[in-house]
Amino acid sequence: MNTAERYSRPIPLLAIVLVALAVHGPLLLMQLPAGSFDTNFHIFFASHYAHHWFNPWNEKWFAGFSQTTYPPLTHQWIAIFSNVVGLKMAYMLVQLIAMLLLPVGVYRFAKIWVGERAASYAAVGSVFLGALAFLAYQAGQLATIASVALYLNALPYFYEWMTEAQGRSLVKGVAVGLAAAAAHHVTLIFGVVLFAGPVLWLAWLDAREERVAASERGVIARAAIFGVIVALGVGAVLLPYWISIVQHPIHQMPIPHDSRANFLLNSITAINYFVIPYGVLILALPFILMRGCANRRLRPLLLGFWVTFIFGLGGTTPLPRWLLGRAYEILTFERFTFWATLMAMPIVGLLAMELLDRFRDKAAVGLALAAVSTLGLALAWLTVNPYRPARTPDVKPVIAFLNRDGHDSYRYITLGFGSELAKVSTYTDAGSVDGDYNSARLLPEMTSYGSAQLTNSKFYGSAGMASLRAMLEHANRYGLKYVFVHDSYYEPLLTFAGWRKIETFDNGETTAWSKDDVPPAHKIESDAVPPRWEGLLWGTLPIGVSILAIFLEFLLPGKRRLPVLMEVPACAEEHYAV
Amino acid sequence: MNRALLIILIAATALLMAVAFFMPAGPGATVGVASGSALPGFSPKANTPEQAMANVLLDVKRRNWDRAFVGVSKTSGVDERAFIEDWTGSSGSLRTFSNLEGFESRPLHATNDEAQMRVRLHWSTPVGPEEEARDFRLMREGDTWKVVWPHTETASVPAQVIPVDYLRWDLVSGGAEDEWGARNVDAPHVRILSMNAVQAGDGSVVMGEVVNEDTIPAFVNVNATVVDGSGNAIDEESSFDKIAHILLPKQVSPYRVDFPQISLQRVKNVRMDVKATLVPASADPVIGVMDQRLEPDAQGKNVLRGNLFNESGQTVNIPHVVASFYDNNGKVVWVADGYVERALLPQSSEPFAVEVPRALVGKVQNFHVVVNQYSLGRS
Repeated sequence: MNTAERYSRPIPLLAIVLVALAVHGPLLLMQLPAGSFDTNFHIFFASHYAHHWFNPWNEKWFAGFSQTTYPPLTHQWIAIFSNVVGLKMAYMLVQLIAMLLLPVGVYRFAKIWVGERAASYAAVGSVFLGALAFLAYQAGQLATIASVALYLNALPYFYEWMTEAQGRSLVKGVAVGLAAAAAHHVTLIFGVVLFAGPVLWLAWLDAREERVAASERGVIARAAIFGVIVALGVGAVLLPYWISIVQHPIHQMPIPHDSRANFLLNSITAINYFVIPYGVLILALPFILMRGCANRRLRPLLLGFWVTFIFGLGGTTPLPRWLLGRAYEILTFERFTFWATLMAMPIVGLLAMELLDRFRDKAAVGLALAAVSTLGLALAWLTVNPYRPARTPDVKPVIAFLNRDGHDSYRYITLGFGSELAKVSTYTDAGSVDGDYNSARLLPEMTSYGSAQLTNSKFYGSAGMASLRAMLEHANRYGLKYVFVHDSYYEPLLTFAGWRKIETFDNGETTAWSKDDVPPAHKIESDAVPPRWEGLLWGTLPIGVSILAIFLEFLLPGKRRLPVLMEVPACAEEHYAV
Repeated sequence: MNRALLIILIAATALLMAVAFFMPAGPGATVGVASGSALPGFSPKANTPEQAMANVLLDVKRRNWDRAFVGVSKTSGVDERAFIEDWTGSSGSLRTFSNLEGFESRPLHATNDEAQMRVRLHWSTPVGPEEEARDFRLMREGDTWKVVWPHTETASVPAQVIPVDYLRWDLVSGGAEDEWGARNVDAPHVRILSMNAVQAGDGSVVMGEVVNEDTIPAFVNVNATVVDGSGNAIDEESSFDKIAHILLPKQVSPYRVDFPQISLQRVKNVRMDVKATLVPASADPVIGVMDQRLEPDAQGKNVLRGNLFNESGQTVNIPHVVASFYDNNGKVVWVADGYVERALLPQSSEPFAVEVPRALVGKVQNFHVVVNQYSLGRS
């Protein structure tokens, strides 16, 4: 095979998956995400399902909260795998599965827009995305990655159903779409507009321009049918979630998050939320814009990308605030950047194809370097970014303290533990009034102030310290007897508020404080406790749809009849320079 | 269409970014996490005194010390180290734990070449929000304004030997497993001397004094439960940091328990509960309270001022004063507290100020101040 032939064929999907396995497998085996912001949170949720599969009421945080406030799919799979490999490795395994599904999804999604060869390059590129590394290894957003990977796999079925009216596409699209919803609600809600919207637009465009056999009216009708079925399915699969969100809408004070900052005025924030996730893709932005504008079929994708890109800029533009209203203060925006990079990949695949056609080996080396440096930069940023904790506490002695001598009959909080709070909570029987999941908080001491976790109070300034102060003032009410401190910043408040240091751990790095007159913790009555039937539903439907989707993939293998596309579609239209 | 769409997208992006500069900021960013500075070309030039002051304070808030110091006039006579220490404090004082969270400034007077600004600084501290008012002088240097930084004298303590002859109580516990507060000895005898409930704003306040009548030190917490006409408890709160928790034998401390949401009209009774535990304690560091006087401050508020003198040989990192105010019948009419931002070095003094509500100024005939303290490594 000569060089021209070698570069003119698409990369086989199996090879792409193996590349993903080769890149991310070792990183996950090394448990690199273990130090990320949200990994311990996901493991904590999974740990609860491992012990109480059908009871989503968890007493360990916020003096009791319902896990129906977060879609359970990834956590339940971790819980299942944990029986074999333990919680932490089970997390890594589920993360790996999501990261292997992602290039498959990108490949199939890209094939809607571009030819097979460009789609294969897009899929390879998605393995090396800085945004993926950022979300997996720094943010620990397992559910976001898993959900979008499933969602991208569902969209081709959606397109096939609209344009070819195949029943199997409808069934498989709905099943995979419901599994995506069961993994992450925010991805579903925004995915409908940002991902499915352009696909619907494209199907309609293809029908109008007779690239597919379907009529325009048929496309719209079938999209509506798909939408109604998915809406009903999501309503059923996540029913306990909808009930909890209707019963307890998020009314808490807005919590600051740096992804909502104006990147032009905050250089480090810009690096963290723009430079690292996009990496060398920044250089491709002009091509994405020009090619997206030049090709009629790519315009829906381009517009979807542009809106997602603008949302990913957080407070750098006012658009998200205008469009989202109150939700703007609840959402974080790094996920939009991730989605934007995924939406850009089909056009980036075209760019790679054109470069390879023109420059052959030189382009291959350049593209490989660009991909590896993007991933490498994101991995290097893990150790040099200013957001990383200076030193994480050794939580083992804290867990041992709580699990001995009846200490677990009281509640506790940690201060300065960051995401390690969830690790303490996972392995102790004692309950805490704090927790690492903002949307589930109902205690007024937390919702009345614009701050997140008590353990990170100081980072939320006066609001954070006021929230901590309010909680400490009500220590007797909640049976809050123990405070574990890994940051001497909090010691003055504890001293003046009547707490006494009783033990030191880890060569004095961590201290335990106690208040003498606190009565043992008692159950805090709450109207958020889900009834038994909700627990049964929660324990069966989300995991059920994911198993159904797996079976359908094997039982109903589809013949892929996507429209034959021009391999270099833009060449047919005018070129211009900017 | 192609070209038009391209231009529209680029123009819309640029326009949206430009509009964002004129949008009100959302909730404050996280504190103490580096967010960097504005990208080149996006930082406003210090061509007015207000902008110069804002630029310096914004960089101080972000702890971009080098950039902040660029805004300080060379005529100030302070080096960058002293400038930084002025903001970050020293000797483990309250200021060393504090972060500048926000600021407001207003001009007091301005000419073409010189201006005076009054700045209200909002600090986030471990013990709650603190406010500070400071006046700054600014000078025009070329086409920009710079802040003339006042030189702050840092207390310097000469080397000396301080004899130690204070009282100290140690505690021998029954076993290594015994927890603090659970030892097999009688609790110290502590009594509430007085209690007075008053309406304060939308809530109510229960205050008074508590005494340790025993011959051993006590660790004290005062809890109050307000009860309605039917005998049902409405709310329970504690004295939290408005009390001296460690009371030496015969020592008296004021206490105050706040019920921010409970109007006094709903309250028919108050149940007081004082919990005392035997603890090891010492009279050191001895802190003297001197030069106490009631007077208005620069902003017209009535404050109790005085000086704390550290008679010991140890640094007190964060002093805390709790003051009780009495009417002419000796009844406690108010209890207030305040933290001192500078560390109290051995054999040196620091001023303190505690605010008195305007409505009570005429009633107050006397006052009593007790001093709490936090010392690094000795809590």
